[in-house]
Amino acid sequence: MTRTGSLGRLGYGLAGLGGLLVLMEAVPRLGLVDARFLPPASEILGTLAGQLVTPELWIALGETMRGWALGLALAFWAAVVLGVVIGIVPGLRGLTSSTVEFLRPIPSVALVPLATLLFGPSLGSTLMLVVYASFWQVLIQVLYGVAAVDSVAFDTARSYGLSAWSRVRHLVWPTALPYVMTGLRLAAAVAFILAVTAELVIGSPGLGAEIQVAQSSGAVPAVYALIVLAGLVGIGVNAAVRLLERRVLAWHPAVRSEVAA
Amino acid sequence: MRVVRLLALPVLLVLAWWAVSGSSFYLPSPDRVGRAFAETWFSERLVLDVLPSVGRLLAGYVLAGLLGVGLGVLIGLSRRLRATLEPVLEFFRAIPPPVLVPLIMLLAGIDTPMKVLVIVSGCVWPILLNTVEGVRALDEVLSDTCRMYGVRGASRMRRFVLRGASPQIMAGLRQALSIGIILMVISEMFASSSGLGFTIVLFQRQFQIAEMWSGILLLGLLGLALSVLFRGVERRVLSWYYGSGAERA
Amino acid sequence: MLEISSLGKVYESRGRRVEAIGSITFGVGSGELVCVVGPSGCGKTTLLRCIAGLLPASAGEVRVAGVPVTGPPPNMAVVFQEYGRSLFPWMTVRENVELPLKEKRLPAGRRRELVGESLTAVGLIEAAEAHPWQLSGGMQQRVAIARAVAYEPQVLLMDEPFAAVDAQTRADLEDLILRLWRDLGVTTLFVTHDIDEAVYLGQRVIVLSSSPTTVMEDLKIDLPAERDQVATRSLPRFGELRGHVYRQIQRARGTR
Repeated sequence: MTRTGSLGRLGYGLAGLGGLLVLMEAVPRLGLVDARFLPPASEILGTLAGQLVTPELWIALGETMRGWALGLALAFWAAVVLGVVIGIVPGLRGLTSSTVEFLRPIPSVALVPLATLLFGPSLGSTLMLVVYASFWQVLIQVLYGVAAVDSVAFDTARSYGLSAWSRVRHLVWPTALPYVMTGLRLAAAVAFILAVTAELVIGSPGLGAEIQVAQSSGAVPAVYALIVLAGLVGIGVNAAVRLLERRVLAWHPAVRSEVAA
Repeated sequence: MRVVRLLALPVLLVLAWWAVSGSSFYLPSPDRVGRAFAETWFSERLVLDVLPSVGRLLAGYVLAGLLGVGLGVLIGLSRRLRATLEPVLEFFRAIPPPVLVPLIMLLAGIDTPMKVLVIVSGCVWPILLNTVEGVRALDEVLSDTCRMYGVRGASRMRRFVLRGASPQIMAGLRQALSIGIILMVISEMFASSSGLGFTIVLFQRQFQIAEMWSGILLLGLLGLALSVLFRGVERRVLSWYYGSGAERA
Repeated sequence: MLEISSLGKVYESRGRRVEAIGSITFGVGSGELVCVVGPSGCGKTTLLRCIAGLLPASAGEVRVAGVPVTGPPPNMAVVFQEYGRSLFPWMTVRENVELPLKEKRLPAGRRRELVGESLTAVGLIEAAEAHPWQLSGGMQQRVAIARAVAYEPQVLLMDEPFAAVDAQTRADLEDLILRLWRDLGVTTLFVTHDIDEAVYLGQRVIVLSSSPTTVMEDLKIDLPAERDQVATRSLPRFGELRGHVYRQIQRARGTR
């Protein structure tokens, strides 16, 4: 709008990224930090490029994304169904609130030992952690969303004899949708973190396990390369969910701000 | 009536747990877990494992808070600095924090500094980016008001910049808290000989199932306590914000 | 007290050059109340921000008590149009009024005195411990006025302060301004888009042209010093002056 237009911003942003690369190249080359601990940027990116042509990396990435997507989908639908039921059945919200408030802050990594016992280093462990972590993010937003339905509108719908199903379909769901999408966005980021965590700590196949292997074999550039890759995937995940959110809500009159959860 | 409503479902769930607990080796009954909880955690473990873990979490969290808010204000106040650094910061935030554990182990060993560093390096990004956003969105009319009435320097920082950005700063701190707990646990699971995360994994490896469950329970209670504490602080700090209804605007 | 000489403001951005203010020259004598009116979009707010030292001028200069303005002068207070955004929502009414006095390093006793007096003057002493968002729009603007008054400025600038309040509140606030001005004798520059308001309040009215802005007319308001919402506004002379300013502004818009 003002002096720094979007083109100017892009220029500054690129300069920032370029500066980071130069810094990461110069610091080890000048011997400020031992190159054994921080390899130059060119070496990290070179290693990444080298790995990107191996099938192993793509298989690992695929495993991570599978755990992420499956876990997210499971948690999402479970949370939506449960959230709508809790939200619209009178009295259910009061009955469940203490349980929700107790279970929600439990860090999902607390389940690591249980997952290890039940599933070992496999997709099951990843799913358990991912589902637990992302379920609450969506559920809370769905509850907010259903609560946002105007009670007058709800009574009107009832007085016109709309069935429970069409009330959900035409009144509750459209009102709650922006909240649901916020929940999905938050959950997607959390799910990715937990997918990588499960692989890293329990050893389920995926990017996290690759990082763990690289670290224990002392392949420092590979550790950095995989972390950079994880960051890029993280950005991709965020961008994709944001795009989906904008698509789904394009028709919606009110662009909702995030509810403090 | 209120008490009944609050307790009905939890009681039902515990009863259900009791009913199915006999069927699986992995699911001991609630009373066994309760006994294990008392025996395990009301002992010297509280001092040797639990308190140091919580101490590291708080140390890392506070450091990340100072660093994130300080740098965030600096970056947020300069339009150019913001435009230059935002993509870099977004990238760092997108890295799932747990992958920093193996990296920082390489750099800083496996002792307390490593664990604190891991927590700082994971927690700082949401705080930093939210602070930048909060400072960027400060009201221009208020800023003019400060200039007109000679509010500048440290006073402007304290009374205007930090207060004005506090809703976003608190949102960042809230995100960082849950990341901090995750990192506390897994930095100890990874390579350690003490701490809450280590102890729970140890129980699992030794198939002390009731003790393991009691550890999960303890982590849950810790998460709950911290989140209740945080909400209390937030209510106080942001009372003006909730009052003005700005969060719905 | 306030001298504006050949003030100009040009906005420049990537090959585009917008001349917002052509050249403006006028003065406000000590203790005078002068209103500035102009067609919408004529750069009234830009002018005020230049005078307040919030925006650097491209040409000419502004002097307050003989001193050239390079940044916000210490002896000047501003009441902004956006009352909802010019008060600190995390402070009470009292804290809002007191803040500038703290920055002036006044002793606590004197601060208490000034805050009490100014809040009493605007009729809000009971609301001192409330937060701004608990008050109505008109009351919030009273708080902003109290803050300006407590600051004890030599020059008071007001940027369309009543543009966003309802008509009844507006009349009350106009009379409040007149009373405060008469009691305190503070030099006041009042910017508005409302011709009635300008004629009713001002000793002089400066009529601005449309952008690039110049002074079209510097009109003396020869109404009795004692103003009254009903009596003054029904004077034939009030109607004449209003009609005159109205025609001037129509002319300004026509030449755009």
